[in-house]
Amino acid sequence: MIEPVALKDFFLTFFSAAMVIMTGGLYALLFAYARLKHRPGFMLLAYTAYLGLFISVLALAFAANLFNNNFWTVIVLLMLIGYLLAPHAIWHLCVGTHRDEETDEAEPIKVFSTVVKSKGV
Amino acid sequence: MTALGKLDRANLNGGQKLAVKYFTVAIALFGAQILFGLLAGLQYLYPDFLFGILDFSVNRMVHINAMVVWLLFGFLGSVYWLLEDESGVPVVGLGLGNLAFWIFTLAVVVVVLVYLLVQTGVGEQSSIWLINEGREYIEAPRWADIGIVVCVLVFFYNAAATFAKGRYTGIGGVLVLDLIALAGIYLAGMYYTPNISMDQHWWWWVIHLWVEATWEVLVGCLMAYGLIKTLGVRRKIVETWLYIEVALMFGSGILGLGHHYFWIGTPEYWFTIGGFFSALEPIPLVAMVVHAVFDAGHHKLKSTNNPALAWIIAQAFGNFFGAGVWGFMHTLPQINLYTHGTQWTASHGHFAFFGAYVTMVIAYFYLAIQKWRGGVYMSGNLIGAWKWKWALALLHIGMLMMTMAMLISGYEQSQIERAIEGSSWVGYFTAQAHPWFVQGMQWRQIGGWIFAAGFVLLAWDLMTIGRKETRPVRSLTE
Repeated sequence: MIEPVALKDFFLTFFSAAMVIMTGGLYALLFAYARLKHRPGFMLLAYTAYLGLFISVLALAFAANLFNNNFWTVIVLLMLIGYLLAPHAIWHLCVGTHRDEETDEAEPIKVFSTVVKSKGV
Repeated sequence: MTALGKLDRANLNGGQKLAVKYFTVAIALFGAQILFGLLAGLQYLYPDFLFGILDFSVNRMVHINAMVVWLLFGFLGSVYWLLEDESGVPVVGLGLGNLAFWIFTLAVVVVVLVYLLVQTGVGEQSSIWLINEGREYIEAPRWADIGIVVCVLVFFYNAAATFAKGRYTGIGGVLVLDLIALAGIYLAGMYYTPNISMDQHWWWWVIHLWVEATWEVLVGCLMAYGLIKTLGVRRKIVETWLYIEVALMFGSGILGLGHHYFWIGTPEYWFTIGGFFSALEPIPLVAMVVHAVFDAGHHKLKSTNNPALAWIIAQAFGNFFGAGVWGFMHTLPQINLYTHGTQWTASHGHFAFFGAYVTMVIAYFYLAIQKWRGGVYMSGNLIGAWKWKWALALLHIGMLMMTMAMLISGYEQSQIERAIEGSSWVGYFTAQAHPWFVQGMQWRQIGGWIFAAGFVLLAWDLMTIGRKETRPVRSLTE
């Protein structure tokens, strides 16, 4: 079911796995910033980060022998598709949840509520 | 509210009075955790140090158990802190909650004293009940286990009954459901069986599902309330995101438990389950990054409490790196085979616990002290702000140094001890004597001292911050 990592591939495995998350985070960060500020240049950088993620996932897959097994190959494909689409989906959720922020009647912001009378401790 | 800057319990509601008691014990236990961690670290460098007086096994046990308990105290305190404010009614059964606090605190003191005074002995039924249950990280004897469950049930009653009587909020709803799991899953760690595989199977329910799932959700609730208070983020938005985060976390996190089942004698299908759901676990973190950028753009980070907000931001980064990057580096079974149980795991554990949990509890300490001092100003140009900034910096520098040092030692261990020498005794000792390991332990100790200095500064700051301020808390509508 699993084929352990070869000794020579240890560093590549750790490094590529770390880079999967780092580039995934960077892609999400640049993607959100590009959308927020309407800066298409940052979107290009975001997809460059995704390219880094793509390479990292492939490097991890080769180093950890994931392509030697159908199940793990599917996981690799899901990771590539999932990371590509997740920032898009989350952005839509952000826009949706904030949509009526501007139009809602403003709630007075209370930093502290009045002390509620309660039994002493 | 009384005079600004003066500590006065009249500034607090009933739940908050109980919360500051929990916070006080939490800080003391945080100090104990650091002290015993430093002693255990020194014993890595000088194995004879305190041998026969305060053994490494005891120091390590107190170090880890103190962490679990002080964070639990911090979480309980944080929930009591927000309870009346969220629900709009006084805490139901507050007297019982207060009694549970004293019982819990007394039990912790007795358990630690027993750990320190009875360091060796036979392992039998009486020792399980009275001395030490023997399960790593949750070694508390059976009587204390039962006490913890009773106290958490009282806490659950306080929270659930208060929200039932008062206003329902999304934060309250998620919190109450989470507290059922918090009380329930701990029971799995009390099931005794002589079969080590079965024992580990249930033990991981406490370590993974209790600590990683229920605590994560609890922190999500605390974060939501914290953002409303410090940034004035709208409740509707925060609560919608709380639901999304909880769904993502549970969707990936519950069966992510599988990555602990790789090597304990469970069936092979856990490789696939653990591998698949562990690969999904970073998705909530990606969501967090996107939403944080969105929110920062909309709210300009104008805050009522800069130290609390700084620690909340530190939580987002710490969670991403400590849990996400450090976790995924070695979570797939193909590599976890070599790293499981090495200093690599310790590196991940230190960074993830600090990043995900310690940061949030410290943020609540600052929220509490602000109100305890009568709603004092704690935004920009705060008098004596260097202390909280340096405490934050030193705690992070110390933690990062420890994490990196253990990462290097763990890398060497997984190569030499595990991969080359096949987990043999020879491999164990060869790896322990390797310069990478030894130097890693030395740098870890230096990181520990820096972390301890950060803690001293944090404690000093919490005692003094806002004392000389005469300005009231900043209004977010300014």
